[in-house]
Amino acid sequence: MSFEVLKEEEGRVVSKLYSYTYEEYEDEDKGPGTMAEDILADPELAGLKELVIGDWGGAWENSCQELIDAIVEKKSCFSHIERLFVGDMDFEQCEVSWIIQGDYSRLWSALPGLKELTVKGSTDLELGQIEHPQLESLTIICGGLPESVIRSIQEAKLPKLKKLLLYVGVDDYGFDGNAETIRELLDKAQFPELTYLGITDSEIQDELIPVVLESKFMGQISTLDLSMGTLTDQGGALLLEKLPAFPNVKKLDLHYNYLSKEMAEKLKGLSAEVDVSEINKSDMYRGEVYRNAMLTE
Amino acid sequence: MRRACLLGNPDTKRTIYLQQAAARTGLPLLFLDWREFQKVRELALENQLFLKVDPPLWDSCRLEELDALTEAYNARLEELAHIAQSGGHLEFLNHPLELAAVLDKRACKARLAGAALPVTELLEGAGISARDLLERMREKRIFQVFIKPVTGSGAAGVSAFRWQPSTGKMALYTCALAEEGGGLVNTKKLRRFSGQEEIFLLLDRLLGLDCIVERWYAKAEYGGMSYDLRAVVQEDRVDFLLGRLSSGPVTNLHLNNRPLEVSALGLPGRVLEEIQELCRRCMACCPGLSSAGIDILLEKGTLRPRIIEMNGQGDLIYQDIFHDNIIYRRQAELMRRWLERP
Repeated sequence: MSFEVLKEEEGRVVSKLYSYTYEEYEDEDKGPGTMAEDILADPELAGLKELVIGDWGGAWENSCQELIDAIVEKKSCFSHIERLFVGDMDFEQCEVSWIIQGDYSRLWSALPGLKELTVKGSTDLELGQIEHPQLESLTIICGGLPESVIRSIQEAKLPKLKKLLLYVGVDDYGFDGNAETIRELLDKAQFPELTYLGITDSEIQDELIPVVLESKFMGQISTLDLSMGTLTDQGGALLLEKLPAFPNVKKLDLHYNYLSKEMAEKLKGLSAEVDVSEINKSDMYRGEVYRNAMLTE
Repeated sequence: MRRACLLGNPDTKRTIYLQQAAARTGLPLLFLDWREFQKVRELALENQLFLKVDPPLWDSCRLEELDALTEAYNARLEELAHIAQSGGHLEFLNHPLELAAVLDKRACKARLAGAALPVTELLEGAGISARDLLERMREKRIFQVFIKPVTGSGAAGVSAFRWQPSTGKMALYTCALAEEGGGLVNTKKLRRFSGQEEIFLLLDRLLGLDCIVERWYAKAEYGGMSYDLRAVVQEDRVDFLLGRLSSGPVTNLHLNNRPLEVSALGLPGRVLEEIQELCRRCMACCPGLSSAGIDILLEKGTLRPRIIEMNGQGDLIYQDIFHDNIIYRRQAELMRRWLERP
């Protein structure tokens, strides 16, 4: 098992990443079925606030289901964990769309003290019926968000949710919806405490701007994250026009975009703190314009 | 008369900054353009010559011309060695035969592995097809590999390929593009392909060149980017160590990747010491080299170092020339010591 201490507080390890190397997976029979046991053997587990799971062993051919199930079975040993990240892998380890995720239906009631959940990868991802009294932050990082996952989120009972960050992704890698799917999500979802809304990493980012701006959450959020997608001046102009009506929005994250320099400058003039870094140029190939969301594969 | 000489290309950074370092060091440095190569023999007969050989300029981006260009270059290197052997008074910063030897990635790797140095694992890839490659990957259970022309420098033709046998999904990251009518051109942009048909076309053409195939190790990461290290080692001392951060699998710096001072990476002392020791052992394997660039990856999680490759002409580092120019200054000092040797 390879460990990485991510954070210490007053000399105590409070955040740790657990991951198997290729050799441990290939030569030592380590995998999702052994990971919970190995984590439980770590004397520092009791002091952790955050548990980060990297590669659970061949994440491209093994779902993390056994690991999730083991956490549920041994829930009392994990009940102190406030922040959980499952699938913290970069492109060196696995294409994000190849990470085989699992079904989190039983996790919600098993970890009632959980405040933050981050999941990377959407293949075989199921969130089931989400009901959690304490969860404050839900982030799904993926190359394409399946409609089934979106439906789970829109029906979720998360009274304390403050942050929702979704990577919408592209249809080639799992996003089987369109702008209307996101509209329905924002219409139906009930998150009275929401202050951070992130609808990001989309190849239809421009189409999602009016959807987000018309949503009920605009009057309550302080951070609007529309980053990492194919935002052009079309969406930029709409933001420029409509955002002043929402003085509650203090931060606007548009990093990684396809804006013109002029539009980026204009957006920086908004009263909110605006991040317009990482401006990309469209590719032209055989007369067609190509733009990519940041994370897709 | 003793003379220090650079065989290189005018108005290039390599030449300008070595000349600058020479001027600072008080070293009179004779410059010889590759186009005047024939003058070397004459100079070596009339003088005692200490020569640094820079790589010639290659202006073709067609990958299938790499072999011919390398062959022509090797012939020149052999000629230099011959001049030294046959009565010319010629010494080298890096011996030309050693330069040629490390240019062959397969041979260089075998030599380092023979000295029990940790190198990136090799899957034999010469003359195989894309389908053979998949078979080998399945046998070895190595599902992500790098494919590199055996003699290429920089990122020319370097490709990263991964395959998921259970679903058949595959991805190829490469700067190479297929030309109509056969052949491959090298571009300066890394692209990702995911369709089997286009990947097989590219792979078959790539593997049709003489390529090495090696395991793609998950590299250590810093600030959300992965990185490897370029060490410039001269006379057993690591004169420069640079992190090369990348948001794609190929870290070469001309692909819009980000250089970072190694101190910023916060590596543990034991890792840095291990790197120093590995560099010294690499140099011991190549006694004809006084200066080399060594590319090293640190495995993700364990930070275990592995040698990716060595380059006898890997001494041009922008982060150095635009600052202290240490690497070329040390070369100039070395040449000056030679000049002043009793």
